[in-house]
Amino acid sequence: MLDILLSSLVAGLLFGSVLALVALGLTIIFGVMDIVNFAHGEFLMLGMYTGLISAEATGLDPVLMLPVAAFVGFVLGVVCYSGFIRFLLRGPMIAQLLGTFGLMLLLRNLALLIFGPEDRAVMSGVLVGRSFDLGMGVIIPATKLAAAGFSVLAFVGVWLLINRTRLGKALKATSLNAQGARYMGIPTEKMNALAWGIGGASVMVAGAILVNFWSVTPFTGLLFTMMAFAIVALGGFGSVPGAFFAGLVVGLITELPGFWDFVTYTFEVEWMYDVPMTSFKYMWVYLAYFLIMVMRPRGLFGWKL
Amino acid sequence: MEALKNAVNFSDFPRSDLMIVGAVAVGLFSFPLFPHSSFAMATMIQFLMFSLYGMGWNTIGGYGGQVDLGKAQYVGIGAYTTAVLLIRWDIPFWVSMPIGVVLAVTWSFIIGYPLFRLRGHYFAIATIATSLVLKDLFEVWDFVGASYGLEISPILYTSPDFLRLFFREDVYYYYILLGFFFLGILYINWFRKSRLGYQLRCIKDNEAVARSLGINVHLAKVKTYAIATGFVSIMGSFHACYIKNIEPEDTMSLDLSILIALMAMLGGAGSLWGPIIGAGILIPLKSYLKDWLGATAGLMGIDLVIYASIIMLISATEPRGIWGLIERVRRRGSK
Repeated sequence: MLDILLSSLVAGLLFGSVLALVALGLTIIFGVMDIVNFAHGEFLMLGMYTGLISAEATGLDPVLMLPVAAFVGFVLGVVCYSGFIRFLLRGPMIAQLLGTFGLMLLLRNLALLIFGPEDRAVMSGVLVGRSFDLGMGVIIPATKLAAAGFSVLAFVGVWLLINRTRLGKALKATSLNAQGARYMGIPTEKMNALAWGIGGASVMVAGAILVNFWSVTPFTGLLFTMMAFAIVALGGFGSVPGAFFAGLVVGLITELPGFWDFVTYTFEVEWMYDVPMTSFKYMWVYLAYFLIMVMRPRGLFGWKL
Repeated sequence: MEALKNAVNFSDFPRSDLMIVGAVAVGLFSFPLFPHSSFAMATMIQFLMFSLYGMGWNTIGGYGGQVDLGKAQYVGIGAYTTAVLLIRWDIPFWVSMPIGVVLAVTWSFIIGYPLFRLRGHYFAIATIATSLVLKDLFEVWDFVGASYGLEISPILYTSPDFLRLFFREDVYYYYILLGFFFLGILYINWFRKSRLGYQLRCIKDNEAVARSLGINVHLAKVKTYAIATGFVSIMGSFHACYIKNIEPEDTMSLDLSILIALMAMLGGAGSLWGPIIGAGILIPLKSYLKDWLGATAGLMGIDLVIYASIIMLISATEPRGIWGLIERVRRRGSK
């Protein structure tokens, strides 16, 4: 009983830290320029393909491909910003939504055109198939542990970048007041591009990690876009530490229904048989997200960057 | 009487526009008389349906400026109400449709009340959440067939059945839909000149000013949301009778919500003709591109790549959509 609870808690926290890394890019982009990026999950999906394909092409381990994914993500983010998003910022919110939808459709279907609709997954690698037994019935797959580790590293890195460097100060200034920042001589255009670069890099890294234990199709993105929105809403739009903790919360929300079902079957709660909680697991996330949005639009942890 | 007069009064549009509208209306009426493929007919029906969805969305999203990305849940409520009532109790369309509207509007009040405390991005994102919650519920609810959905059996009814809207030929569906279409235009034409319509435009431009003028902003938004919901739910009921096979995935998915909003935004949100132009361009583009490029050439996804590029191009160059583009050209012409 307790061991099942414990292992679903651990699984939730591990998965949550990966989700947090997915949401990191979204929260940075939202924080710096108040734009909702619906193509975020598509970046993740491209990151997954980047990890997979570069590993297949070079014959190296998928974990070694993280820098490649980060580089591709940074470039893609900057290209998207300077080639497209820049023009949206002049328009009203409605045009921004429309534009990022367009981007989402474009990236998804380009992936469909290039990679085809089949499910693909990493078959071999140092992490795949290994696991650690922590006792108490808690077994941690190596892939997820490594993913959580990289996620924490990435968060610490981004937090340091924003709070401990001049560049980070400039980013923060742009997010607080873009016009004021421009008067102070901060190149806000470059800062916006940088935010997209960092956002793209972090989400593509998340994708390259995720592909070790999650198969990828061109349609994988949408679920993660929604998860990332939920996390960003819970953590407070634009808050980096908030995104991390909210990621853990969402991870727990998606894993605990499994434990609930276990309880149902062990204690033979018959009326619960027809509605296994695991089939609702994303619904709880959306519900939490709706309630948080309505009751505390600033999120649980609150403020920008 | 006054309302009716307002509804049929299009005099604030330039005469050239009205002539184009008249020509299009005649074209729509006579379309089935010309030889056409069944594919063209299906596309036309899609076009009419999506212009009606778009008109509904346009009340809250266009005139009110509240970008709503959760309209699909009301399509689902309408479609499921009609299908369930027809299958279980043999209740015809014309009775189940109003019931669907009542259910959808009630639900819209329940979630609209808290939703409209939010603004801008926050509102848009929260509407997505509500739609997804409802979809996930329907996917496990056995009474409505869970994720398999419901199917209206084609052998039970004789065609043509005007009460249950059951026909073998699409032409009947086309003309009924055309009726809804013109009623929809008249309604929106009345709506935009109604008290609520003016209040909404004021809210869109500046909420603080609207409040200072004594407009109950929250109530106006909730009311308009209900109107938009009614439109969408009627089309949902129609969808059930037309497609005859409804699943949570096609009636309540986020893609449908997005498509509905996209039609209106691309055509020009906040104008009478915008959603119709949007649907008139996007729907044929989508289905023919899919037919030519996707199916014939075997390049999966290329149709949507082109489609997405057009959306991106318009959103980046003319944020007010195609109607904005037309108005800009016209203004330049008159100078």
